[in-house]
Amino acid sequence: MSAFLTYLLNGLAVGCAIALIASGLVVIHRVTGVVNFAQGTFAVVAGLCTSSLLGMGLPHGLSEVAAVLAGAVAGLLTGLVAIGRRGTSPLSALIVTLGVGVLAYAVEIVLWGDQPRSAPGLAGSVTIAGARIQTQHLLVICVTAATFVLLALFFGRTYLGKALTACASNPYAARVVGIDTRRMGLLAFALGGLLGGLAGVLITPLRPISFDTDVTLIVNGFAAAVFGALTRPVITLAGALLLGVAETMAAGYGYGSHQLEVALGLMIVVMIVQASRRSTIHQETV
Amino acid sequence: MIDVTDLVVSYGTATALDHVTLSVGQGEMVALLGPNGAGKSTLANTLAGLLAPASGTVRVGGRLALIPEGRQLFPDMSVADNLALGGWRSGRRDPSAVYDLLPRLAELSSRRAGVLSGGEQQMVAFGRAMMSRPEALVVDELSLGLAPNVTADLAAHLAELNREHGLTVLLIEQNARLAFELCRRAYVLESGRLVAEGDSAELAEDPRVASAYLGGAIT
Amino acid sequence: MKRLAGGLVAAAVTLALPALLDDSALAVYILLGLAAMVTVGVSLLMGYAGQVSLGQGAFYAIGAYTAALLTLGGVPPLAGLIAAPLVAAASALVIGTPLLRLRGHHLAFATLAMQLILLSLAGQLEITGGDIGLQAIPQFGIGSWEMSSAVAYAYLTWAGLALVMLATHNVITSRPGRALRALATSETAAASSGIPVGRYKLVVFALSAAFAGLAGGIYCFYTGYVAPGSFPVLISIQYIVMAVVGGLGTIWGAVVGATAVTLLVQALNTVGALPGMPTYAPSVLSYAVYALVLIVVVLFLPHGLLPAITRRLPRTAKR
Repeated sequence: MSAFLTYLLNGLAVGCAIALIASGLVVIHRVTGVVNFAQGTFAVVAGLCTSSLLGMGLPHGLSEVAAVLAGAVAGLLTGLVAIGRRGTSPLSALIVTLGVGVLAYAVEIVLWGDQPRSAPGLAGSVTIAGARIQTQHLLVICVTAATFVLLALFFGRTYLGKALTACASNPYAARVVGIDTRRMGLLAFALGGLLGGLAGVLITPLRPISFDTDVTLIVNGFAAAVFGALTRPVITLAGALLLGVAETMAAGYGYGSHQLEVALGLMIVVMIVQASRRSTIHQETV
Repeated sequence: MIDVTDLVVSYGTATALDHVTLSVGQGEMVALLGPNGAGKSTLANTLAGLLAPASGTVRVGGRLALIPEGRQLFPDMSVADNLALGGWRSGRRDPSAVYDLLPRLAELSSRRAGVLSGGEQQMVAFGRAMMSRPEALVVDELSLGLAPNVTADLAAHLAELNREHGLTVLLIEQNARLAFELCRRAYVLESGRLVAEGDSAELAEDPRVASAYLGGAIT
Repeated sequence: MKRLAGGLVAAAVTLALPALLDDSALAVYILLGLAAMVTVGVSLLMGYAGQVSLGQGAFYAIGAYTAALLTLGGVPPLAGLIAAPLVAAASALVIGTPLLRLRGHHLAFATLAMQLILLSLAGQLEITGGDIGLQAIPQFGIGSWEMSSAVAYAYLTWAGLALVMLATHNVITSRPGRALRALATSETAAASSGIPVGRYKLVVFALSAAFAGLAGGIYCFYTGYVAPGSFPVLISIQYIVMAVVGGLGTIWGAVVGATAVTLLVQALNTVGALPGMPTYAPSVLSYAVYALVLIVVVLFLPHGLLPAITRRLPRTAKR
């Protein structure tokens, strides 16, 4: 029983990291209609930055914050390239984000080399209800929970957050009211970068990160986001947690090498179910 | 107040507005009539600054707000939030003046905009436009999909704002009867070109206008 | 007329080349030809069905593994080569039928997912040889005649590309093809016009998979060896770059794009292998160039290189 609980709790931590990546995807997609293929890249950049900054002697806390900001900057730059030019269609923008992700490989290898890097996090473990959970995992869960609450408050209660939601809800009406949808899109990208960066900073102590870690991250993130149809944050969170737990359980009970298949299989199944429920007209007007 | 000179607006290779010249004086309430596809909404969007002219000039002598065709609210947000966002451009977020003007909105303030009736939604769109204290209002298809009494109610508000507060109004309509009732002057737009303009009473008598828009002359 | 003449010249030149090239140049020729075959399909998919396949390499791999498994199992190579595109097309139908109705990014990720899953499975299953893969694949041949020289494989590749281009030409000029082109912008408008756009898109997708499968089949006979490592995700991105660079939805555009990118990669490899360059130089250079080329072309040359070039050529007066 305690093994199950251990896997469950650790799985929730993994799911939280996925949820952060997925929420970045959702924020960007809701506001701009673009699926950001570089979402995993923000996490990798932040993770590698953390590793370097801590290695250079910068204290904990400061390094992590700086790294998250680096993620936000990466997000903003991606947004500038993807949607900065008027008239870029969402599918073209997706391809551009793909290009950004590959370009990031080149930059990352030059700056950090091609070997995986790690960073020290919170050491030790805690026992809850007979189950052992790493302290770093607990940190991940708490930070993610706080982030989601903050996001909900931001989008629901602040004027700027409402403006962003407006862009997602009815871009034409947003423009009628005077909202600069392109600037809001850039803000969404920066926010996505911040969320991805946060994920990267939180998971680097848990598993070494290298330039090609972004593929696993984006695939997991997308799988969770697809659950919420790329627009519903709460369902996305649920999907991410489910994914994290499923993968950890699979690893714990002996199917460790199939974690990726779990994510991908779930994603494809969900997409097919969604496909059978939607009609083309609904797709186009959404 | 609103001066449009030789305006040309195109979508790619298609010309939506072909050398249109019109003007609305301060405090006037003028109508723009025309069938579907005439370019009325294109003109509305250009006046609101959402479309750029290919050539020609648009001069607006004050704050202009648009009540777009089909309401165009934020359906999942409350009426209060919809109104608040209306104040984005001007920075004025306080809806009290709008609640004074349209008390029904105060009652609906916490309701989700998407579940309201057509008339209520149009009222929200109206209130949202008024949030920026505009000096000129462009109203695109006020009557679309609304029952006559609901339309009359909103129209009365418009007329009162025009009369009492000098609000300049450009009323874009397919419903000629309503347009001529409310506005002393009118333009007629067809396929991107102005085909008629002048006094409402005279236009109503004009056989072309009458047959196209009024189903026969008004007797 | 001019285009036909240009095409015939190109065909003649490329047909003559294999006899003149040495083995290492032939390797480039063959890989270029195979990439062009896949790219024609990708270009067709993106230009006509408006869909992106982030995992087209999966169909390439399916073709290669199918031909390899069948031939190693005793099936005559010709049958194996024919089976390759068929199996690839069938897989496309399985994934495309439910997903083509959704917006572009769904199919994009589903194809990527498919490639990742396939690579993972192929690397673990015994039947596919695991990470080491399948080796000693018999040479391609018909009956008792066996193909053993690189020149022969070059001609086979040429034939495969010609077949793919011909098939694509027929699709583009057919009524369904022209209908797809005209209605590419709005599926709702298309649906109300009575044209089964969904079915046409599915055919295009399956066709693109078949092209990739055929290329994969030729590849497995040429190298005699297939392993998961031969089909990384990067090649799928390569095909997209080639398609975009050459111009979407045009046959020659795909070939131009594949040629441009392949030669560019060769040049980069040479530069990256120069003394004094760090060991990671080749991969960094390829990543950087792929990415920059893709971004620049998508943003600034949306119709690709081919239309940009032909627009500059002097036009003969129209009658």
